[in-house]
Formats: sequence, structure tokens, C-alpha cells
Amino acid sequence: MLKLMKYEFRKTMFSKMILLVITAVAELAYLAGVFLKWENCMGLGIGGLAMCGIIGIFYIGVESLIVFQKDLNTKQSYMLFLTPRNSYQILGAKILENGISIFITGAFFAVLAAVDFSIGILYIGGLKEFLDVVAQAARFISIEIQIEPGQMLLFFVSMLTSWLMMIVIGNLAIVLSATVFAGKKFSGIVSFLLYMVITWGAANVLSLISEPLSGDMVYLFVIAGALVILTAMYLLTGWIMERKLSV
Amino acid sequence: MNMLECRDITKVYGRKTAVDHVSLQIEPGRIYAMLGPNGSGKTTLMKMAMGIVKPTSGGFYYQGEPIGVESRKEIAYVSTEPYFYSWMTIRDAGKYYADFFEDFSMQEYERLLDRMELTPDMRTKALSSGMMAKVKIAVTMARKAKVYLLDEPLNGIDLLARDQIMESVLEAVDPEVALVLSSHLVDELEKIVDTAIFMKDSHLVQVCGVEELRMREGKSLVDKYREIYGHSGERNRME
Repeated sequence: MLKLMKYEFRKTMFSKMILLVITAVAELAYLAGVFLKWENCMGLGIGGLAMCGIIGIFYIGVESLIVFQKDLNTKQSYMLFLTPRNSYQILGAKILENGISIFITGAFFAVLAAVDFSIGILYIGGLKEFLDVVAQAARFISIEIQIEPGQMLLFFVSMLTSWLMMIVIGNLAIVLSATVFAGKKFSGIVSFLLYMVITWGAANVLSLISEPLSGDMVYLFVIAGALVILTAMYLLTGWIMERKLSV
Repeated sequence: MNMLECRDITKVYGRKTAVDHVSLQIEPGRIYAMLGPNGSGKTTLMKMAMGIVKPTSGGFYYQGEPIGVESRKEIAYVSTEPYFYSWMTIRDAGKYYADFFEDFSMQEYERLLDRMELTPDMRTKALSSGMMAKVKIAVTMARKAKVYLLDEPLNGIDLLARDQIMESVLEAVDPEVALVLSSHLVDELEKIVDTAIFMKDSHLVQVCGVEELRMREGKSLVDKYREIYGHSGERNRME
């Protein structure tokens, strides 16, 4: 499994490096803004880092679907399916690598934000002064910043887990397109519609189970619900691949 | 004892039947030529033996068990198409095989690359078709597999490269090993194979020993090929 994950990581390494380079540029802009008291530069840095975090996490998920689609529909598929590994291991390695990448990226940006926040406080000379400067910078790039650390972590993890669940549903749609609907007219559209329906259903389930709850329990139930759904989708996808998939 | 066996296997793609009720046994210690024109079902049959194409009905068995993860540990396959990841160098392809196949020898791979005059640092996506064919053979024959399925290993390869490839392939010959080579180059294979499998229009037409063919019918493999795939060949389809 680890070896499969190593090669899954290798397939997406280039885009992750690009993300890292853009992040480094945004970080430099932020630090220059803090040290040289250039609010505009700092605002651009904060905006750039926020965009890198959000778009980065989004893109890592989407790219995993693009890679999976390519792995099933090009001769590159032999690299996976000629190895002595079953479909559950191949798919599991993809999901795990993607999940780890998404969570590490999320954690990386969270830590970077915390470090940048601390640097800002230390250098600008106090929390209030720093927040004033940040607010000023935020006005420059027209965003509202509200920091509520209490539920931040749970919210963050629930978002990442829900995103991972949507990616696993995407994997199912890709496999359906390559198996059950293979060679049929409109197989791509039918698979996409099926993806939308399953995602909508999963979102409704998560909404239903968290509706009667409040506070942190909402996030905990959303995380647990998303994990259950993504596990079920993974098992179903692996089962179809094992029985139906020809590459 | 049959090493690899398919029982009444059929594969249908939409309206096209690629393999139609084929039963076949592959025994150790033999070199098989799988012969037939394009579209006769050779490639599909080999892919089903590896489990990368799922049959519509029937099945493939290795050592009596349905093929799967365990059989892929002992069956090596070379496809006609290039399949390495675009970022890979020739060395990376070897490392990949070393990571997944316990029977792969990096030392043997390097020896084969050296013989075929290939540089490990070359990117696989930049290789010519001839060089790619050599890499596919080197990475496959560096395994100590029990069955080798080589689909058109000599396709589009010049004469000198063919010699290098065949030399590497024949090193695997062993009483416990079965080799199956598919090719259009019947005369090329005639020198080395001992059994021929004739496929036509998705059906298995005939399986015969090359020596037996010479002794009993006084025909070479090329003669038999002409007989089956020439105009009179229609009568030869196995019921």
C-alpha cells in the first residue's frame, strides 16, 4: 500500500511544487509587508496565502480525480493493474494519499497562518495593533476577517472530510463510467449526473444528522457521517472495479 | 500439469465478440507462438490472462486457482502499447518493478539494458518505438516469472534489435517456465517455438506442436499459417 501511495504522490508532485512556490511568493509579500509596514503588500500576501490554501486544497482533490480518470482510460493503467495488488488496495492508496495530502496541505496553511499571525504580533508590537493592521490590509483587498479559534479546528476538519467524501464519490462516478456505462452513449453525462445525485444525497444525510444538534456536536457528526459515507463509497467502488473493470 | 488455463472464455465489447468460447492450456517448459491476424483475439486473451480485461463469461486459472493478485506475482506480461508513466526514466521503470515484483532483479535489468545499449537516464516518453520495445522486454525479462506473455514483442523492431530481444527472451527458457509470444512474424517464431496456437475471428482454430506438424503433415509453421489464414482457411475453424 505504501509503495502505491508513493507513486500516487509522485504523479501529483509537480502541481504540489507549483503550489509551494506560489505560497512562498505570497509569504514573502506578507513578511515584506509586516517588516516594512507596507499594508498593501501585507494585504496582498494575506490574500495570496488564503487563496493558495483554499484553491490548493480544492485543486489537490480535483487533480486526484483527473489522475484516476487517466489511470483508468489510458494504457498507463497497466502500471497499476499489472501489479500484484487488488482494486481495493489500488483505490485505497489513491484515497489515502489524497486524504493525507489534503489534510497536510490544510495543516500546513493553518500552521503558516499561526506563525504569520505570531510574527505579525511580535513585530508590529501587540495583538491589537496587529489586528488593526490586518483589518486595514483586509479592507485593501476587500475581505472580512473573523477569528473564532474555538470551533475553527472542528470546522476545518469537517470541511476537509466532506471534501474528501465528495472526491471518493467522484471516484465512484469515474468507475461507473468506465464499467457499467462503458461504451454506452452519454456515459460521461450519466456518470456526472449520478455524481451530482449521490453528492446531493450525501449532503442531505449529513445535514439531517447534524440538524438536531448544536455546537461542536454538529461538526463531530458531520465528520463521522462523511467518514461513514466515504468508506461505503470506497467499498462499493472497489467492488465494482474488482468485478467489472477492464483497462 | 496445466500452469495457465482458460475455460470456455468469452469477451464481448458492445456488439463485437473479441474472444468466443476459447479453452486453452499452457504447460511449463514450452514456448508457444500465438498466431493470428489483427483482431483475431490474441491480445484480449492475453489481457484476460492478466486480469486487466474481465471476461464476459468463462475464466482464466493459474495453477488451478482463478487468476488475480497471486497469479500476477508469477505471470509477466508485455503489452504492445507503451504504458510507463511519462515522468519515468528507464531507471525509474526498473525501480517501479523492483517495488512491486519480488522476482525482479535490478542487476539483471541493468545487464539487459547494457546488452540492448540503453542508457538508464533516458526518459521513457522520449524513446523511439524500438527502444520502448527493448525497455518493456528488459523490465519484464528481469523478472523470474513462471509464465511470460509477450504480446507482439517484435512489432516495428529492426532486425538487429529483434536479435537482441529474442536473445533476452530465450534466456528465460526453463523446464518450469512457459513462454507465450504473439506475433505476425511467423517465420521468425518458427525457429524458436515448439507449440503454435492459431486464433481466427475470435476463435481458437488449432493448437499444434511445430515438430509434430512437420512430421505428421510435412508442413512448416508458415505453411500452416497460410493454410489457415489463406482463402481456404475458413474450413479450419474449430467447432
